[in-house]
Amino acid sequence: MEKRENKLIQVYKSKKPYSDYILFGILLIILPILVDFGLIKYSYLTTIASILIFSIVALGLNLLVGYSGLISLGTAGFMGLGTYLAAYITKDLNLPFEISLLISVLVPMVIGILTGLVSLRIEGYYLAIATLAISEILRKGFVEFEVVTNGFSGKQASYPTLLGFLELGRNGSFIMIVVFLIGIMILTYNLINSYTGRALSTMRGSEAAAQAMGINIFKYRLLAFAVAVAYSALGGVLYMHFVKYTYPNAWTLTLSLNILAVIIIGGIRSIPGTILGAFVVFGVPDLILKRLPIIGDIDGAAYIFNGVLIIIIILFYPLGLIHIRNDLKKIKFKLRKRKESYSEQS
Amino acid sequence: MNNHDFILKIEDLSIAFGGLKAVDSLSFEIKEKEIFGLIGPNGAGKTTVFNCITQFYKPDRGKVFFKNKDGQVEDLVGKRPHEIISKGLVRTFQNIELIRELSVIDNVLVGSHIEFKASLLSQLFRLPKARREERDLRKKAEEVLKYMGLYHIKDQLVAGQPYGILKKIELARTLMLNPKLIILDEPAAGLNDTETIELMEIVKEIRERLNTTILLVEHDMKFVNNLCDRICAISFGKLLAIGSPEEIQANEEVQIAYLGKGDE
Repeated sequence: MEKRENKLIQVYKSKKPYSDYILFGILLIILPILVDFGLIKYSYLTTIASILIFSIVALGLNLLVGYSGLISLGTAGFMGLGTYLAAYITKDLNLPFEISLLISVLVPMVIGILTGLVSLRIEGYYLAIATLAISEILRKGFVEFEVVTNGFSGKQASYPTLLGFLELGRNGSFIMIVVFLIGIMILTYNLINSYTGRALSTMRGSEAAAQAMGINIFKYRLLAFAVAVAYSALGGVLYMHFVKYTYPNAWTLTLSLNILAVIIIGGIRSIPGTILGAFVVFGVPDLILKRLPIIGDIDGAAYIFNGVLIIIIILFYPLGLIHIRNDLKKIKFKLRKRKESYSEQS
Repeated sequence: MNNHDFILKIEDLSIAFGGLKAVDSLSFEIKEKEIFGLIGPNGAGKTTVFNCITQFYKPDRGKVFFKNKDGQVEDLVGKRPHEIISKGLVRTFQNIELIRELSVIDNVLVGSHIEFKASLLSQLFRLPKARREERDLRKKAEEVLKYMGLYHIKDQLVAGQPYGILKKIELARTLMLNPKLIILDEPAAGLNDTETIELMEIVKEIRERLNTTILLVEHDMKFVNNLCDRICAISFGKLLAIGSPEEIQANEEVQIAYLGKGDE
């Protein structure tokens, strides 16, 4: 049995998943067309767009938590910083979207690297609290730094204009989000399957082994933080140009915890798992729960749903919901085996 | 004796944890292509010596001279732990330090981490340089695995492999860089008799094929006596004796350290 399980793992690891990712992207791009034909409600599209954006953010956190073994509760703060920078640069400074994208990702990244420096001294719960503090400082900044952020009333932006002339509408922006997500999925896959990915995993698994093999812990911790924060900020920029509105209280600890829930529910160290998790955490409450009788009327049904789900998943699928597919494969295998033995008997 | 005859020379090495002197003015040297054993009763400070050599611990006093890949002698004390491997010195651990979630071949590839040069951008986009590098080193890892008789499990996860296999994987990981000196911390611990004999052959063969020197800590005296050219016995961090296996076996102080004094 052991050998067969290993064989299964071997099979789905050996093939590159690019085509799966791209197929997934194409399916997503069809959605706005269905909306135009009135087959799907417009509000669904908005929910799905935010799921995709949070998927990007969660992929970054998965790299940090799943691969490097670090923790961050500052995700929301960095995502918020991305939204504000994007809004300020495109609206107030009137600079093109591309420049805004670059700056709005790079600035949080630098702050992320500084956070990484903190991680060299503290770990575990303490690191979680330190990153939470950084996130709260950022959020306080969104409130107080009114000249740029407009304080509590929040800030607005519009759909992006690419290359200075290509004005994207709602559908165009949705497609842009999909393209970014698929791109990020591919890049993340490449990264975790490169020597950098192995170094991150080694750092998580055994710091002693990492050092003995010449892996500079300092460098790779900073790298992990830089990538995670860059993904968060990118998510922020995309959010700003799709939702078109940002305000301080959108970027609280709740969001950071939800994104952590995404990777725990979906699958730690799994790219498809992260996407699945985002659909479960951000999608199910909006798309399904709210539309159910009675349950839909309960305030905070989403919290209850996520809480119960996390408990169930930690009990039965500690590595995430995505690992159901291994069980399904096993069941299929057993059924086939049983069929074979029946036919042998008869 | 020629000054450059040694590959590793430890001089007056001392380290204390609080009041406990784990290693106390220890000196010895290892010649090139030697299999050198470090023995001593439990808590004698053997692993601490290893950790001082590989700079996981900073010794309070003393020097660790190592003849690196370019044939130059340098003091390792003060170097950072991750810098040591590039000098040509690789180690294994007493409690196997492998990454359970990675496949066998990926674990071995971690051993040649410092040989990977592709930039982050090149890795992100899988540019030709990163691809070529990955392919070449993967080929090398496959060769090492074939040599160790692990090729058939190369794509399996490390988690769930039997203990003897794990020890072999860790040994395979040290071979990726053709090191000058391999430090083995209790390589035979937990192995059965057949596996121990097999390991003995492998270690000897590695020395011949890679022209490398081996320093090992081991409790299994049969293993040490059969394998090592010279043995250094320590107790409570202090040197007891250095010599051939026969000399060590006959040494009275070593016998006392292991078995205690006879009845008065």
